[in-house]
Amino acid sequence: MSETTRAGAAAPSPVRNPVVEALKEALMAGLLAATLASFILGVKTVDAPGGLQLEYRWHWVLIAFGVVAVGRFLLRLLWWRRDAALPGAAAAIGRSAGQLAQPLGKFAGPALLAAAFLLPFMPFIGRYEMDIAILVLTYVLLGWGLNVVVGYAGLLDLGYVAFYAVGAYAYALLATHFGLGFWTVLPLAGILAAIWGMILGFPVLRLRGDYLAIVTLAFGEIIRVVLLNWQEVTGGPDGISGIPRPTFFGLEFKRFGENTFHQFFGIEFSPMHRLYFLYFIILVLALITYMVTNRLRRLPVGRAWEAMREDEIACRSLGINPTNTKLTAFAIGAFFGGLGGSFFATRQGFISPESFTFIESAIILAIVVLGGLGSQIGVAIAAIVMIGGFEVFRGLEEYRMLLFGLLMVVIMVWRPRGLVSHRMPTIFLGKERKAVSAEMVGEGSG
Amino acid sequence: MSTPVLTVEHMTMRFGGLVAVDDLSFTAGRRQITSIIGPNGAGKTTVFNCITGFYKPTTGRLTLTHENGDAFLLERLDDFRINHLAKVARTFQNIRLFGGMTVLENLMVAQHNPLMLASGYSLAAVLWPASYRRKEKEAVELARYWLEKTGLIHRADEAAGSLPYGEQRRLEIARAMCTRPVLLCLDEPAAGLNPKESEELNELLVSIRDDEGISILLIEHDMGVVMKISDHIVVLDYGRKIAEGTPEEVRNDPAVIAAYLGVSDEDEVQEVIHEQH
Repeated sequence: MSETTRAGAAAPSPVRNPVVEALKEALMAGLLAATLASFILGVKTVDAPGGLQLEYRWHWVLIAFGVVAVGRFLLRLLWWRRDAALPGAAAAIGRSAGQLAQPLGKFAGPALLAAAFLLPFMPFIGRYEMDIAILVLTYVLLGWGLNVVVGYAGLLDLGYVAFYAVGAYAYALLATHFGLGFWTVLPLAGILAAIWGMILGFPVLRLRGDYLAIVTLAFGEIIRVVLLNWQEVTGGPDGISGIPRPTFFGLEFKRFGENTFHQFFGIEFSPMHRLYFLYFIILVLALITYMVTNRLRRLPVGRAWEAMREDEIACRSLGINPTNTKLTAFAIGAFFGGLGGSFFATRQGFISPESFTFIESAIILAIVVLGGLGSQIGVAIAAIVMIGGFEVFRGLEEYRMLLFGLLMVVIMVWRPRGLVSHRMPTIFLGKERKAVSAEMVGEGSG
Repeated sequence: MSTPVLTVEHMTMRFGGLVAVDDLSFTAGRRQITSIIGPNGAGKTTVFNCITGFYKPTTGRLTLTHENGDAFLLERLDDFRINHLAKVARTFQNIRLFGGMTVLENLMVAQHNPLMLASGYSLAAVLWPASYRRKEKEAVELARYWLEKTGLIHRADEAAGSLPYGEQRRLEIARAMCTRPVLLCLDEPAAGLNPKESEELNELLVSIRDDEGISILLIEHDMGVVMKISDHIVVLDYGRKIAEGTPEEVRNDPAVIAAYLGVSDEDEVQEVIHEQH
């Protein structure tokens, strides 16, 4: 539509009647809507004797035409005063909001942390809210893990869920077959996932951009298909059930039994205890992820990741081994994916390949991208908005998908580089700590 | 005279049917500025890419010798090992900085290998950051030294991508110097600089040679820079060496004049070359 207005502006008509212009546009928009609607709304298939028959509903097409044409007319006349392109205006709003958000960012981290610790003790927190909080924190952990690969190193990984699955199955198998406890398996699962990260990393080292994305996507699917078909080990589509729950220094969270938590502390049994416990496990795991990745960023390896994202050829001219640098990024990212997977297995008590589909990878990636590539606080906020928001609108049933999509589009128009798009340098010579604006920072081509 | 820092022997680089560099041999003296000049497309950057490992030459031998006698065959090393082990640093014709990182961070990335070692391959430093702090401080001091030398100290905490063009060129040289090289390869460092900046660049390069004792290999179109500071000049045309010598010798060489000004008849060029030898 904007093409027609621009063409109109270029035409030699010194006096333009805004009403006529708006009418023209409204007619065009209405016709477009009617064309689309004629296929979607205009015909309906109905069961009839002798098979399906088409039922024509032209009044619906008319309504679509009317709504779009009138809406466009009013918008054009009352709202869009000038021919300013919408994305430009939106970006300008985004920039000013970004300046506002910068001092806000200083307090957002500590405030979120305090809220996370106090959350279970709030009066309005019930079982359901606790479950959501645990879920959100799991995604925060995964987001921070993937952030190393996608945000720092600039390698687009669409198969992150594979490492999540490796961690989950590592715990499930080691616990059900060998009786190992959660705390023993946790680091093992992380290391196993890291090894798989390197196995994936090797063949894709030379690939960049879209090619890398496709191969990592395929890797994620391979892991899922293997889990689905390797019946003897993984149980195939039936999954693995009866995965042991984590213990508190050997104390179990059960109503009856020998070594139970409530008996030891002499308190009333409550199913909430285990939820609190799980919540604090994932909170601590997420904080460990935060601290380790944050610290790595300030170390030579982290700077090499970011330098690799900015310019790989320059890195090689400075003696940085690209193979090692990329593999460490994959391995570290996968390690935290494995931790998250282990936690997922112990929380659910049951896992099957269904939990590790591509959509999981997509959600985690969306959290990282919406949060702002490389920004840890942004990732945390994005996880809360995405996962928490998704649950809050559960009442809207299928419309929540619509709302969800709309939200993502709005965020990307408003802040194309994610919620927190500026980059904080890792070292300063002077006293002033200044952020690097988003326009300078590369996104990586791999 | 001490041994040359770089010896190139019979180097040929073919891209399919195209011969970019044809049987080139020359040496670069230690603590000298050796320039490679020639018309556009003469194969200068290809020579650079072979020396720094971004291309593998089709044939030929490239030997880099350190002052203590250690020798490295560059054609057998990966690009990043050429910087790490043989200590050859380079800059690029089209500047390649880490634009989203600050000036100081650019110089810290250049010290990646010693810092990796100091931080216990980052593992030790994750668990116990204090162990690594002293080494990092030393790295910052080296960076500060080069920032002062290149006049960028007031820009240290700014994004490299936000610097003006001339400062980006200087930063790239500072970054290369932070890898503590034996041989510094500069690909058209004066391109796009104004006369004043060009003059400052001359001073910087002479200081790197005389004060730091580092050998420089230079590709440059700006004859003001080349003739003033070079100790030795190699002239390429169509991938072949057509002349070599001091600035004075090269300036008066008929083959060089022919290559730069153009001679209509091919035979005439051959004649001119024959006369020279």
